Amino acid sequence: MTESVLDFDRVAIHLGGREILSPTSLSVRRGEFVCVIGPSGCGKTTLLRAAAGFVAPSAGRVSRHGQPINGPTREVAFVFQDYGRALLPWRTVEANVSLALEAAKVSPADRPARIARVLATVGLGAHAHKFPAQLSGGMQQRVQIARCLAQEPELMLMDEPFGALDAMTRESLQDELARLVREQGLTVVFVTHDLEEALYLGDRVIALRANPTSDKPSLAALIDVPLPLPRDQLSTKEHPEFLRLRRALYQYLGHT
Amino acid sequence: MAINFRPFVFPAVLLGALEWWARTTGKGSDALAPPSAAVRAFGGALADGSLLAATGFTLGSAALGLLIGALGGLGLGTLLGLSRRAARLASLSVEVARPVPSVALIPLAMLVFGFGLRMEISVVAFACLWPMLVLTQAAVLQVEPRLLEVAHALQLSPLARFTKIVGPAIVPRLFVALRLCVAIALVVAVTVEIAANPHGMGYALIIAQQSLDPALMLAWLAWIGGVGFAINAAALALQRYVARRMGAEGAA
Amino acid sequence: MTRRFDWPGAAGSVAVLAGVVALWWAASHGGWVSRVFLPSPEATLDSLVEGLGAGGELLAFTGATVGRMALGWGLASALGVALGALIGSSAAARVWIAPTLEGIRPLPASAVMPLAMSIFGLSGSMVLAVVAFGAMWPVLLATVHGLAHVHPQLREVAQGLQLGRREVVFKIGLPNALPDILAGMRLSMTVSLIVSVVGEMVASQPGLGQAILLASRAFRASELFAGIVLLGAIGFVSNALLAVAEKKLLRWQHP
Repeated sequence: MTESVLDFDRVAIHLGGREILSPTSLSVRRGEFVCVIGPSGCGKTTLLRAAAGFVAPSAGRVSRHGQPINGPTREVAFVFQDYGRALLPWRTVEANVSLALEAAKVSPADRPARIARVLATVGLGAHAHKFPAQLSGGMQQRVQIARCLAQEPELMLMDEPFGALDAMTRESLQDELARLVREQGLTVVFVTHDLEEALYLGDRVIALRANPTSDKPSLAALIDVPLPLPRDQLSTKEHPEFLRLRRALYQYLGHT
Repeated sequence: MAINFRPFVFPAVLLGALEWWARTTGKGSDALAPPSAAVRAFGGALADGSLLAATGFTLGSAALGLLIGALGGLGLGTLLGLSRRAARLASLSVEVARPVPSVALIPLAMLVFGFGLRMEISVVAFACLWPMLVLTQAAVLQVEPRLLEVAHALQLSPLARFTKIVGPAIVPRLFVALRLCVAIALVVAVTVEIAANPHGMGYALIIAQQSLDPALMLAWLAWIGGVGFAINAAALALQRYVARRMGAEGAA
Repeated sequence: MTRRFDWPGAAGSVAVLAGVVALWWAASHGGWVSRVFLPSPEATLDSLVEGLGAGGELLAFTGATVGRMALGWGLASALGVALGALIGSSAAARVWIAPTLEGIRPLPASAVMPLAMSIFGLSGSMVLAVVAFGAMWPVLLATVHGLAHVHPQLREVAQGLQLGRREVVFKIGLPNALPDILAGMRLSMTVSLIVSVVGEMVASQPGLGQAILLASRAFRASELFAGIVLLGAIGFVSNALLAVAEKKLLRWQHP
């Protein structure tokens, strides 16, 4: 029984004739919040999809608890950036969440309570009977997160979930996410192009490079983020350690 | 260039099954004949000129009816699209006349024109008028409002506004509507011939059935389907060509 | 919706329609068009009332045509969705079978009638079979199309939740295809009415189709027009009912 929820053992991925990800090894331990950052084309989304089982590695092995994975499973919840296409528009909020329970063959009697609990966690209890078209972008994303929570996953993978939202909504969702991850003790891998978001949310940050070569592989840096918890939008971002890490990451990513 | 053979496998299998059945258990049937016999019958109809004559009649009446109906629909649709007031005034009358199935007018056309070309043309024209009207009106209404503002800012006369801005903007959608009306025209023409008019492909089909000639009937059925398919494909190609040339969406 | 009803617009369109009827009246009374071809509005109304009242046959004929149309449409829709779901949910079927379906689409449904007559003879069931066959295609093709065009990300959502194949069809594929299917069903209804009328004409089955054909042959123009009015009404009502149902079922598109 290993502590690591997700293992990448020299995983390389080629797509369309190009090497998107050069052989990369990393581990995610239980309860960690790992952020993956990098410029466009660095393979961060591809890495996440490989972790989910949507993409098979061209080389190396993706495993969970020592077992190699061969496809998506319910223990891993995936949050898409495009929330509009991740929710079923013809179902209400609670019916969308229910989909996860139906898939897991949860009995109809047990479903309402679990749905209500999960909607309360994301603060959407009052909107259970609305359709996605009636909700703002931020609320739709919260519905998606609620559905993922209903899966009671071991690992939550999030692909730039706040990228399509405005700055204010993004910040409030960041704090909400941090809170519920802490409360539920979730393990999260969070992909983002926003350096500050990665440092704000993560316990560890993985920085990837685009166009990897043999002396400059995909994995540019793997750093710990020992900033005090709970994080706060104002004080954390002014913390000297935050600023130092930010500068360091910039350099790793090749900015001057 | 390799031709994708897969779409043809399933129909080939079905035809093969029909051939086998018609030669064995179904031998002497009045309804079904082996496809090979249908091909022979087709050759016969081609040779004696009946195929071309009937096809020419149907296509000709469909084309003329389409011309009249589409022009009428185009004119009315443009008017109703450009003028909100006209659209409101005409709305009830259009909604009352539109749902009348074109086939319901066959007996009336028979009464007025007797059998022949005019009767069929009038029914086809009625059938094509309404879809063309509705789609043209919608196309005009969907012209990007900003383009109309530009026309206003440039102080174009109504005629210039139409020829330079509205007209070109709606052409791609008009060809989509035209494609739909082409299909309708052909279907209605054949239907008129099957129901009443003793001319054209539909009538030839009926005659073949009544003379208990299943091979000829099958040949006509296949020919009607084939002509329909070819004309629809041509209309689709035309629609896509226009869309590409005019940089419209749906050009794929 | 809290938009005020457009009274002036509605009144205007009623006035225009009344004007058209007035023109009709003038044309028939003024002899511009022969009474043989164009009965007066009153004569048409008389025929309508007489035909629909007790002792008149129009009501029974209308019922026969509507029954044929509705039953044929129901069968066509059920078959179309079922077959469409089978074909649309299988990538293999889409490659091998769907092109043939597209090839049959341009064939006029009425063209199948002579063949059906040879096989089944002249009967109500024959007409019904042809109606169902003809009306099936719009629904079938719409279902196949809708199922084939599920957004790839929705498919991944289904994968991530490990939804079974059946669940994917019923919980994602068909609901996703519903707007297309409903549009197909509306088109089906139109085809259904047309083929029903043609069937009655060709196979001499009791109904409005046969009634107006006989009226035309006997030069009874007012009865002919009465029949046309009824057929128009059937078309209008059936379409309106479907539009209402469609709006209700697609509530989520415009909540």
